[in-house]
Amino acid sequence: MTRFLLRRLGWMAITLWVVFTVSFFLMKAVPGGPLDRERALDPQIEENLKARYHLDEPLVQQYVRELGNVLRGDLGVSFRLADFRVNEIIAQGFPISASLGIVALGFALVLGLSAGIVSAVRRGSAADVGLMAAATVGIALPNFVIAGIMIILLVFLWPLFPAAGWGTPWHLILPAFCLGAPYAAYIARLTRTGMLDVLSQDYIRTAYAKGLPGRTVILRHALKGAMLPVVSFLGPAIAGILTGSLVVEQIFAIPGLGMHFVEAATQKDYTLAMGLVLLYTTLLYTMNLLVDVSYAFLDPRVKLE
Amino acid sequence: MKALLPYLLVGLFVAGMVWAVAVGRLPPADFTFTNGDEIKTVDPALVTGQPEGRIIWALFEGLCRWHPETLEPLPGMAESWEVSPDKRTYTFAIRPDAVWSDGTPVTAEDFAWSWRRFLHPGTASEYAKELWYIEGAKKFTTRDLAPGDPVEIELHERAPGALPFAEGEIIRGKLAAIDQEEGEEVYRVEVGGRVRRFRMSESPGGEDACRWVLYDFRHVGIRVPDEKTLEVRLRHPVPYFVDLMGFYPMFPVNRRCVETYGFPAWTKPENIVGNGAFRLKFRRIRDRIRLVKSETYWNRENVQLRTVDALAVKSNTTMLNLYMTGQADWITTVPTEVVPELLGRPQGDFRPAPLLSVYYYLVNTTRPPLDDSRVRRALSLATDRREIVEELTRGGQAPATSFVPEALSDYVDYTPAEGGRYDPDEARRLLAEAGFPGGRGCPKVEILYNVSESHKAIAELIMSQWKRTLGIDVGLVQQEWSAYLSARRRKEYQVARAGWIGDYVDPNTFLDLFVSDNPQNQSGWSNPEYDRLIAAAQHEADDERRMELFRRAEGLLLTELPAIPIYFYVSQSMVRPYVKGLYPNIQDVHPLWAIRIDEAEKDRVLKEEGLR
Repeated sequence: MTRFLLRRLGWMAITLWVVFTVSFFLMKAVPGGPLDRERALDPQIEENLKARYHLDEPLVQQYVRELGNVLRGDLGVSFRLADFRVNEIIAQGFPISASLGIVALGFALVLGLSAGIVSAVRRGSAADVGLMAAATVGIALPNFVIAGIMIILLVFLWPLFPAAGWGTPWHLILPAFCLGAPYAAYIARLTRTGMLDVLSQDYIRTAYAKGLPGRTVILRHALKGAMLPVVSFLGPAIAGILTGSLVVEQIFAIPGLGMHFVEAATQKDYTLAMGLVLLYTTLLYTMNLLVDVSYAFLDPRVKLE
Repeated sequence: MKALLPYLLVGLFVAGMVWAVAVGRLPPADFTFTNGDEIKTVDPALVTGQPEGRIIWALFEGLCRWHPETLEPLPGMAESWEVSPDKRTYTFAIRPDAVWSDGTPVTAEDFAWSWRRFLHPGTASEYAKELWYIEGAKKFTTRDLAPGDPVEIELHERAPGALPFAEGEIIRGKLAAIDQEEGEEVYRVEVGGRVRRFRMSESPGGEDACRWVLYDFRHVGIRVPDEKTLEVRLRHPVPYFVDLMGFYPMFPVNRRCVETYGFPAWTKPENIVGNGAFRLKFRRIRDRIRLVKSETYWNRENVQLRTVDALAVKSNTTMLNLYMTGQADWITTVPTEVVPELLGRPQGDFRPAPLLSVYYYLVNTTRPPLDDSRVRRALSLATDRREIVEELTRGGQAPATSFVPEALSDYVDYTPAEGGRYDPDEARRLLAEAGFPGGRGCPKVEILYNVSESHKAIAELIMSQWKRTLGIDVGLVQQEWSAYLSARRRKEYQVARAGWIGDYVDPNTFLDLFVSDNPQNQSGWSNPEYDRLIAAAQHEADDERRMELFRRAEGLLLTELPAIPIYFYVSQSMVRPYVKGLYPNIQDVHPLWAIRIDEAEKDRVLKEEGLR
């Protein structure tokens, strides 16, 4: 187990380096840069600006400089949000995106698992059809439509929640629900499929034959096996959900990382974009690692090596 | 371990909730507005945008302030100023009670130091050009040095006792020669009777290494005869120079603060020292900037707001939601789709007002068929601007018949020249005269715009107008922002959507764009007569003659048409009626020190809408 973890961590370092290198050269290859603006600059002023940010140096020299900074844990100063270091931006934005993400994930798991179990156990019933139809709609409807409907219903028609902003539990509910809804829908469908698969297996029949109550069979024996596809889905999903969602964050004016991600890319904020890419890579890798580890707990047949 | 998993998940969920709430609930501010995108910085020397301006105008103050309604310069840090008879020397008297937020007095030296920093090539200020009116200032920024020039050399070593981010020690001398050695510039400078060599390098090393070799700042036309007097010598008369002093890039920063913490640390709320009506309480990235009234500001008795929140909200719809639910008192823009409904609101809180900015089509005059001014005129005459503003923008925008916005004439004595009529017959006649009767034989014309629904809609409408009237083939090219800018810069376009917001209230801010050496002139159009007229106007001391020269230049611009004006922007502000002191003006500048809240009316309005 320890060897397994160490090897995976070694690979993580290599992955991060490759991601850094590829992103660095891709960013520089794309036309335009962080100094682009509609107001054309005087050539001398533009030169001064480039020198200030070391953009006048040869690419390789820039690469070595940046890599050195990143290795020292310094992601540099953002181009676009010039008063902040990238580390500060992440330190402020990540907890917000993460807490929103965790609450959204809570919604998604509770709603998705219960809907999936109910429709698998009551297969073919009205409840099954209804829940799965809702899940399909949940997957098909984009975030901003769900958010729009929620705002009209719960902010304007029935003023329960604030329209946007951050700071109280009330501010959290609507965006978390909108962010979690499509995940809930996915989880519901995955749970249902997994459940149906497991329910037809021999060990479930054995469990019933032993005279265990249906509730115990489903929650203790069947659910564990049915969770495997859900868990595989959750790994990357958590990484995505924790690093924020552009749409939900924009609509509800939430100061998370999702906005930063897109803005950094479109405005060619090299340093911020790089910091976020590295953060996302780390998270994705860690989550996948956790998923692999959790398999060993959920399914006794899986061994880590 | 296995049994713990569900508890762990529940624990995480609760932790998430707690974490989210830990940011804390804030008491609402006296006045809340949406400030658009998160600002780039609060450093006056480094910004160019409106949202940044609104914050800097609150934190700092220049020599003058702008009247919230008429934009006339009011005394600010300077209590009075005088102009010499040749209109080239300005003397500002700094007010005795002007102090920084750390209690130290604001002096003329603060301005001289801040402007030196603003003009310094190492600061790389994008607005540096606005102070190049001062003698020698341009040379200081561009380092366009020639032998014989007085120079100053900044060493890597600081003087003993200097603050951690202060400049290195300065040596002054006369430049003898600039040599090239191994691809590096070596400056030979006469210092105290002997010639020394210097080379600019990023880090110390070698005896001749220095940080900068610059034009001697003592030869730039900024003098400080005494602590409270600032004297500025200009290259030529600039009638709007005092107005410019109210523009945020020219605001002073506190030397001790900047040199103690360096950039960006000096901009942190706990470090920053300002001289404006408000202080920075805190900043939450992409959430809000909280400002509190400054207790050291000279005019504090007349500042009513105690706390102000500037929300960083990018989406127009979210802005409107915040306004409608009473969480914002002023929003700076609204979604275009609902403009007609908002115009009809009984509260009358959405009143678009003209702005000093123009939406236009830039024409690449280096490529056929658009190298022929008759074709460009035909395109302009075939553009029905009324249809565009009535069918598409619908927010009260005015069709542009000139390049300089008409609204300018409410502020200065300038009547824009006449141009952009809609005359299909004349358009067809000109096109035929250019050799393309009925559009036959005319190469395809492509309209380039950056990705945006509204630019697209306008381009589509203009395409159909040109096709309908002229019978020519028109195409559309949509590009992402950076690609679009670079296409414009490299002149790889035929017609490109563009916009320009005037920096100051004078026709020069628009007409200067099309002189041959302006980097903004990406049309390839170069006209000696036009350059001559603009230069003459810039050097003309007599106001009436000056405006006449500008008018002639604009007339020329509108017959040659390297740019086809389409419409003039209008403000899209929505303000609650209980907010007083926020007036529409063409610069869309609304100083916070002038804003007052009528609490009784606020209570009434919010109760009426069920928000309290």
